[in-house]
Amino acid sequence: MTNKRSIIIFWALFLVPTLIVAAVAFRLLSHEQDRLHRSAQAALTQQAKTLSETIHLTIEDVQQNLTLSLLALEQKQIKSRLVQWEHTNPLVRNVFIYTKEQGLEYPLDGMASTKEERLFAVRYDALFSGRTSFDFNREGRQEISRTGTGLKKEIRADSYGSIEDDIEKSSRKTLVALSRVRQKPLAESLDAIQADQQVVKFKEKSGWIPWFNENRLYILGWVQKKENDPVYGVELELMTLLSRLVADFPKLEGKNAALVMMDGSGMFMHQSGALNVDSGQSPLAAVAVSNLLPHWRMAVFVDSKSFSGAKGFLYLSVILLGILICAIISGGVMLTRMALQNQKDARKKISFVSSVSHELKTPLTSIRMYAELLSSGRVKDTDKSRSYLSVIVDESHRLTRLINNVLDFGRLEQGKKKYHPTRFELDRFLKHMIEAHTIRIEKQGMEIKIQISKGDFAVRTDKDALEQVVLNLLDNALKYAGDGKFIQFVLEKEGPFTSLKICDNGPGIPKEQREKIFEKFHRVDDSLGANQPGSGLGLSIARQILQDLGGDLFFEPMPGNGSCFTARIQNYETH
Amino acid sequence: MEQTTSVYQRISLILLILFLTFFTARDIWAKTNHSKVICRVETDRSVLPAGPSQDIILKITLDAPSAPMHIKRPPVNLSLVLDQSGSMNGTKIEQAKAAAIEALTRLGIQDIFSVVVYDSNVNTIVPAQNAANIQGIIRTISQIRAGGSTALFGGVSQGALEIRKYIENDYVHRIVLLSDGIANVGPRMPEDLGRLGAALIKEGISVSTVGVGTDYNEDLMARLAQKSDGNTYFVESGFDLPRIFAGELGDVLNVVAKKVKVIITLPDNIQAVDIIGREGRVKGRRVELFMNQLYGDQEKYALIKVKVPQSKAGSKMLVARADVSYENPFTQKNETSSGRSWALFSGDSKKVAESINVEVVKEYQLNLNALAQERAIELSDKGKKKEAVKELKQSAAVLKKIGSRYNDKELLKEADALEVQAEQIEDQGMSKKSRKILRTRSYQQKYQQQAQ
Repeated sequence: MTNKRSIIIFWALFLVPTLIVAAVAFRLLSHEQDRLHRSAQAALTQQAKTLSETIHLTIEDVQQNLTLSLLALEQKQIKSRLVQWEHTNPLVRNVFIYTKEQGLEYPLDGMASTKEERLFAVRYDALFSGRTSFDFNREGRQEISRTGTGLKKEIRADSYGSIEDDIEKSSRKTLVALSRVRQKPLAESLDAIQADQQVVKFKEKSGWIPWFNENRLYILGWVQKKENDPVYGVELELMTLLSRLVADFPKLEGKNAALVMMDGSGMFMHQSGALNVDSGQSPLAAVAVSNLLPHWRMAVFVDSKSFSGAKGFLYLSVILLGILICAIISGGVMLTRMALQNQKDARKKISFVSSVSHELKTPLTSIRMYAELLSSGRVKDTDKSRSYLSVIVDESHRLTRLINNVLDFGRLEQGKKKYHPTRFELDRFLKHMIEAHTIRIEKQGMEIKIQISKGDFAVRTDKDALEQVVLNLLDNALKYAGDGKFIQFVLEKEGPFTSLKICDNGPGIPKEQREKIFEKFHRVDDSLGANQPGSGLGLSIARQILQDLGGDLFFEPMPGNGSCFTARIQNYETH
Repeated sequence: MEQTTSVYQRISLILLILFLTFFTARDIWAKTNHSKVICRVETDRSVLPAGPSQDIILKITLDAPSAPMHIKRPPVNLSLVLDQSGSMNGTKIEQAKAAAIEALTRLGIQDIFSVVVYDSNVNTIVPAQNAANIQGIIRTISQIRAGGSTALFGGVSQGALEIRKYIENDYVHRIVLLSDGIANVGPRMPEDLGRLGAALIKEGISVSTVGVGTDYNEDLMARLAQKSDGNTYFVESGFDLPRIFAGELGDVLNVVAKKVKVIITLPDNIQAVDIIGREGRVKGRRVELFMNQLYGDQEKYALIKVKVPQSKAGSKMLVARADVSYENPFTQKNETSSGRSWALFSGDSKKVAESINVEVVKEYQLNLNALAQERAIELSDKGKKKEAVKELKQSAAVLKKIGSRYNDKELLKEADALEVQAEQIEDQGMSKKSRKILRTRSYQQKYQQQAQ
């Protein structure tokens, strides 16, 4: 009762703090997970912003370079240069020259222009017919700085992070290079213009128009050097711009997030990240790409179920926490088991000491009593004296066996038991043993049955140790199956082993006890007032000896009732 | 003893000089005597009826020479852009891989090869590199697995990026795009992809498109190929892919002229009425056409309708002069060629009838037929099935009539095929397959773009 309470208290003290620590740790980990989740989302959004900014800056650079290149064209060369750009520069979709008086000078009307050029003229009809002024979108106009180097260099390169560095190397650089289309002599003339600029203020106009036609975006750049000069310019090839930019989108790892660039109608222009995004799905965050690409957005999509740059963190942490708790609980279980085992062992040892004391006392009492009777000289009858002496001898043998068992147990436990194997015939050995104990068996009123199959039963083992095994088994049979009708000795070969079976038709051993009987100190009836005396060591010692000698000892129930112990001994040839 | 050694040394030296001189002379001879592109200008009749002004058909033919045997062919910079979206799973992706490997094995170590795969994302699995490490590349190609959406635009853009790594060199740049589905990530309108193609051709990059199955967008694929001067193919099952890739590569490895520009100059009294099939520009008496590349032994042509003035019987007139300029990829030099066409006028209608140039008439009719097929597609898209069928049947009837008149088997065969197509459309409507066949054939006819 006390033990049970101790165990309950132990477990209460042990489990409650463990569970509290586990709960707190789990809560903290969940919070940490949420924080990581939010920071991963914020990082994605930031990535979208940075990417948008890069795209904006790239387009801005491209446009400014093109504007400067347009402005640098000499009046006589405008048309030829523009046509050349149209044919050779992937950034230029169409070119045009427009005057107020004559309208569109280039592209020409009719078959002199391609279908694309005719569509271009139709697309910007409002501008080319004079209905709309080129600088209607004042806010879209760029103030071109013509001081300094003239051409914009990638001066912003240092202002953004690693993705941008990559883009810097490739698409941004090549795009800006494409937009820098002026020839060397023209650059020189620009320098001359810049020099003049110190004195005369330039009256040029320029601008970029994001133009929507049939819900599609087009971008037109124009310049006009002086008030009555022609307006000329280029239409940007948006697909070239897009094609170059998308090739350098950052690669997103994992399948639960995507960066998507969308146009004004929500159509996906490019996606980075393997997440399967439906067109109707609303993004986690979206930022405007650039005012130069009106209504275009950079959207961040995540799969809220599985996304978290660090969902693995929670899983890993929970697994580690689980392992820790399992380790603690396993430790507790082990400790409890050990404590219970120790308790059990202690109980068995106490019972053993009591049993051994009792066992030693019984023959000693008999010896002492008969010895005293004989020494008093009151027994005159010779037969009686002989009988008393016989009892003394028997009891002494019993005492010797008991002491031998205790001594053997000690040696076996310490591993100090020494064996001296010799070759002998097991059948002869068995017959000799039976002969020596026939009187004891018959005294019990039991019939001896011997069943030795034909063949050679030579074994190489320790004869004395085996004798002790047989004696222990025989003692067991006489003790517990004394009311049985027979005791049977069977000797037969089983492969590399010889089986020596000692069977009886006594009461047998209950099923749940059949393996426990081989445990040390174990007795089926463990009480002091048990019917039969014993130390609970006989079978344990017998099995240990046989195992040490390369064999084993098993129990099998006899058909009907009774027990059968099989000692398996290695054959001589097996050695 | 020393004298003998000296004699041997001298003989060896002389032999070496002779040997080197022979090979250098052979190379120089081969380079300078390499055949040029031949330009021919023909009319549909060499004898025209005298009398009032009339429209005639001019055929400007460019006959590409064979690739010279003794000069190394120009190296190729090939990028394969393969669709690995979910719909490609199974035979298609396996055959696409086999086709990619087939293409790779046909390249030489001087060529550049890259592979880009795309689903919803785009990945370069074989960055642009010399086609030397074949086994390593084959292993990489074998690992392609299908799954995801179709980012076609991104795929082509990435392919172009790989090509640009070697854009400065004198390679024949080519992207081969394979797709079996509708592009659903990135620009997906045929116009958009056409613009991408138009931009790429300015860098000398052509895109050939291969559509597999019946679910891809043939308009988009044809437009991309057309604007970048590539080929376009329709294959119904994946099993044809290795053959198509091999044919395409045959073309790419056989380029004999690049940046081909044709300028047709008409006399003052002759006026250009129309350019049949191809896109071009008419500037007064000048007609400008671009054809980009010519493959060895290929014939490419342009058809122009012109109006000749009133003429007297017995008179002779220069109808047109064509000047072709192109870059010879073997010598990296610009070369030119030209051709002229004269017309005789006669009052004898028999002479006029006998002077018919069947080839010109045939190609003219086939091009008109290609245009009729495109109109039929447009009509069918607008739900006007009857009108579409009528258009095709009319075209087939014209082909049959002219085919019978000149006993031309090709025209008759084309007429029969078109009739079958028209009847199928009449019975079952314009199926995806019919639409793809019409679109692809009309493109191949108009631009003479088909793997040899």
